[in-house]
Amino acid sequence: MIGFATLENSGFLFNIYIGILLAGLIGIVIVSERLKPYLAALVVLLVSFLTSLLAIQGIHSNGLEFFIPGGSFIGDIPFRIDALSAWFMLIINLTVTTGVLYGIGYLRAYKPIKSIITLHWVLLVLFQSSMLWVCMVQNSIAFLIAWEIMSLSSLFLVLFDHTDSKVIKAGINYMVQMHLSVAFLTVAFIWVYFKTGTFDFKGIGTYFGSNANLWLFVVFFLGFGLKAGFMGLHSWLPHAHPAAPSHVSGIMSGVIVKMGIYGIFRIITFLKADYILLGDIVLTFSVLTGLFGIMNAAVHRDFKKMLAYCTIENIGIIGIGIGVGLIGLGKDQNVLIFLGFGGALLHVLNHSLFKSLLFYSAGSVYQQTHTRDMNQLGGLIKKMPQTALLFLIGALAIGGIPPFNGFISEFLIYSGLLAGIHSVDIAQTTLMVVSVAGMSIIGGISVFAFTKTFGTIFLGSARTELHHEPREASNIMLVPQYMIVLVMLSIAFFSGYFLNVILTILNGSFHANMEVGNIDFLRYSSVLQHISLYSFLFIVGIGLIFYLRKAITQKRKSTYNSTWGCGYTAPTSRMQYSGKSFTKPLSKLFNFVLIEKKSFNELKTNEIFPVSRNYSSSYLDFWEHWLINPAIKYLGLFIDLFKFFQNGRIQAYVLYGIVFILIVFIGTVFNLLH
Amino acid sequence: MLSLVLILIASLFFTGIIIRTKSIASGRKGPGIFQPVKDVWRLFKKGSVYSETTSFVFQIAPVVYFSSVVMAILVVPFGSTKGIISFDGDFIFFAYVLALGKFFSIISAMDTGSSFEGMGASREALYSMFAEPAFFILMGSFALLTGHTSFFEIFSTLHLGSYITYALGIMATFVLVMIAMIENSRMPIDDPKTHLELTMVHEVMILDNSGFDLGLILSTGYLKFAMYGTLITNLYIGELSMAYAIPIFFITQFAFAVSVGLIESFMARYRMSHNPQFIFALSSVSLLIFLGVLLVLGKFV
Repeated sequence: MIGFATLENSGFLFNIYIGILLAGLIGIVIVSERLKPYLAALVVLLVSFLTSLLAIQGIHSNGLEFFIPGGSFIGDIPFRIDALSAWFMLIINLTVTTGVLYGIGYLRAYKPIKSIITLHWVLLVLFQSSMLWVCMVQNSIAFLIAWEIMSLSSLFLVLFDHTDSKVIKAGINYMVQMHLSVAFLTVAFIWVYFKTGTFDFKGIGTYFGSNANLWLFVVFFLGFGLKAGFMGLHSWLPHAHPAAPSHVSGIMSGVIVKMGIYGIFRIITFLKADYILLGDIVLTFSVLTGLFGIMNAAVHRDFKKMLAYCTIENIGIIGIGIGVGLIGLGKDQNVLIFLGFGGALLHVLNHSLFKSLLFYSAGSVYQQTHTRDMNQLGGLIKKMPQTALLFLIGALAIGGIPPFNGFISEFLIYSGLLAGIHSVDIAQTTLMVVSVAGMSIIGGISVFAFTKTFGTIFLGSARTELHHEPREASNIMLVPQYMIVLVMLSIAFFSGYFLNVILTILNGSFHANMEVGNIDFLRYSSVLQHISLYSFLFIVGIGLIFYLRKAITQKRKSTYNSTWGCGYTAPTSRMQYSGKSFTKPLSKLFNFVLIEKKSFNELKTNEIFPVSRNYSSSYLDFWEHWLINPAIKYLGLFIDLFKFFQNGRIQAYVLYGIVFILIVFIGTVFNLLH
Repeated sequence: MLSLVLILIASLFFTGIIIRTKSIASGRKGPGIFQPVKDVWRLFKKGSVYSETTSFVFQIAPVVYFSSVVMAILVVPFGSTKGIISFDGDFIFFAYVLALGKFFSIISAMDTGSSFEGMGASREALYSMFAEPAFFILMGSFALLTGHTSFFEIFSTLHLGSYITYALGIMATFVLVMIAMIENSRMPIDDPKTHLELTMVHEVMILDNSGFDLGLILSTGYLKFAMYGTLITNLYIGELSMAYAIPIFFITQFAFAVSVGLIESFMARYRMSHNPQFIFALSSVSLLIFLGVLLVLGKFV
């Protein structure tokens, strides 16, 4: 199969791919309602298959290159698939494939809305391809176009539930922030263009070779960081993810934020200097991102918002790896490059798996209960046992807990930090130790956050009466989730294979110069093999003890009775510990970051007969509350000064046009416009 | 292998000694030191009562909790003998395996749908989360000092450089003792003898466990204590020959148990809201160890 895609026929393969894509897009519009989802799934599968062939070829040959004519303006568009692009392409294909299968089941409930269903499937197919293009294209203009298609298609996917004003608001928020990101990227690309005269990405390398690296990297980092959701740049995530349908949130959180990470990686491959400084900056920023994300994840009651914040946390962890890798590049220490970048790349894959798994299972819950407020739920494990199990596996894996794949990548990053401790520079040693502590707090709070979420949604008994009895999700929604679990387990138990691929990426794109026989690589890959083995034995051990327990307790008498109520005989399900009360101690402790907004009217002194009243509390985002919202407010006040331009009189608008034409005319005549 | 055997032996009498110390300190004779083990044995033979609200999580959680601590014990070395599991960075594995057990004990408490058990679960999750950075800074500092990242190599090369490391060892002992107290929900953080559910942490989480499961949870607690005791012993024995190391092990475990008993006899529990501050202070002690390591390595010149 690998032989099928060679350097010579990669362009041919690409043409088939484009053909299938176009035919598919038209086909989805034409076919009957019932077939649309299946056709979309088929197209996604075919596209995934073809582009994965390209990607695998890219990994093996490290550097597949072909040109697609892009007209007179852009010229020939270089498509380059090196191992780095390929890695991300494979992740995209995997996540979108599971997403589209899950989406078939998820959208069944929405069948009546015909027009939007067509649009949805068309956009989903386009969305996948645009992300693939982002990974392949290496020409600034074409890249920005692909990037824009990606942002817009995902925007309209988010706006699926377009009758809800909150969704519209979240969509606009997303759109504005994505264009802020595009603005940064455009500035960066134009900057490179003016210095080097080329739109080819190779120009970035030329630029970095002869200019200061710091500032251009910062501009790129801001642009890509907005997509990835680093702290301060993250505020679209907690709005857009809950608003989107769950399979879209799964794909967005799984891969679209990773496109930001891809961008950062891509820029790093061109860097020539200032590695250590940039590494320190990225590392510090990422630790803070991780802490901020997970703290917020712990307190929110909307479980999809919680997952969105958790994405920010994981971006932080990936960023820590990138920071370590950059420091490794600066010091020319292969082991740091391997552990840092390798850990980050593996975590990108891991996170795309367990985060989409979590979003899918959370989506099943939403589909059955029609609420995202976990404090309304409870006891779903009895109604939806498989979904509960899948969510539990995702929750354990995302916390980096051993028998699952999250531990492998976090372990690599931890090892990177520990290897980086031995530095001549005392500041760097301290930074590394503090980062280790930061990672451990992130891990701790993530256990806190996920025990709370899992416990509140699935355990105990139902907190409120639901409109209809929740049932287990349909098979077409469960199967993709089991597929994800399988891939997750394969990473946990056969990490060696994935490490070899990562090594190819590091050698090809980051000049790590590490042979497979390299002593550091062998050391860590054998450590990971040990971990896999021990994790396996651990599971076997748990099974054995459980079997033993069963054998013993079977002979004993066991009775079922109500939960011990501490002497109180009439407990109700409303008296259970809720998610809110679970996290109260944490939010009280960190109230300088986690801003709680309470709304209630106080009891007045002259109120003799109190009437029923409402109390509500929610948490505000620190950055949104203190930085973004005030900034927008003052910007609005300033812009209001120019409101008189837009006075609604057509005459005035015609006048503006005439004035403009006059300026251009006079300017041309007197040769003023230079 | 040796460490596993020693920990198993130590866990048999550890909690007994704590209880005996407390009895003597309060002027009572107290039960024999093997009473806790007998209690567990009796529980193993008893039937159970399960809550109707619970699911399979409640059934499997005690087993996972127990296995996670056993797995963590396998990582712990003893002086010049490795643990059964030993690799670079095994202390990360150690901490995260323990986290798995904690995860399950927390969700099993939530599984009962009780108004009290969630409270304990929330507190346990919060306190153990704060103990993590102290442990990681401690181990990170030792990794810096020794240049190794596995328990065995760290402990066996800890005292090769200078004698100042013994001073660091004493600070590390404090940190580890306190982490052990937090992880086992003992005195300054939690009072195992309290009779009010509102003030409990660990005890309230296991209100609904009975019979075999309760026995499993209790024995996990004993093992955990002995495990931390072994880590503390490891701070001192280094490459000593077994003829010295094993007596030192039992003396340390004994002293540790007695001091836990004394702390519980003469200290009041902290106010719930002050616990996080206390645990933060623990991280500061760890940072002091880090500074000490930097001093030893002469990085401040």
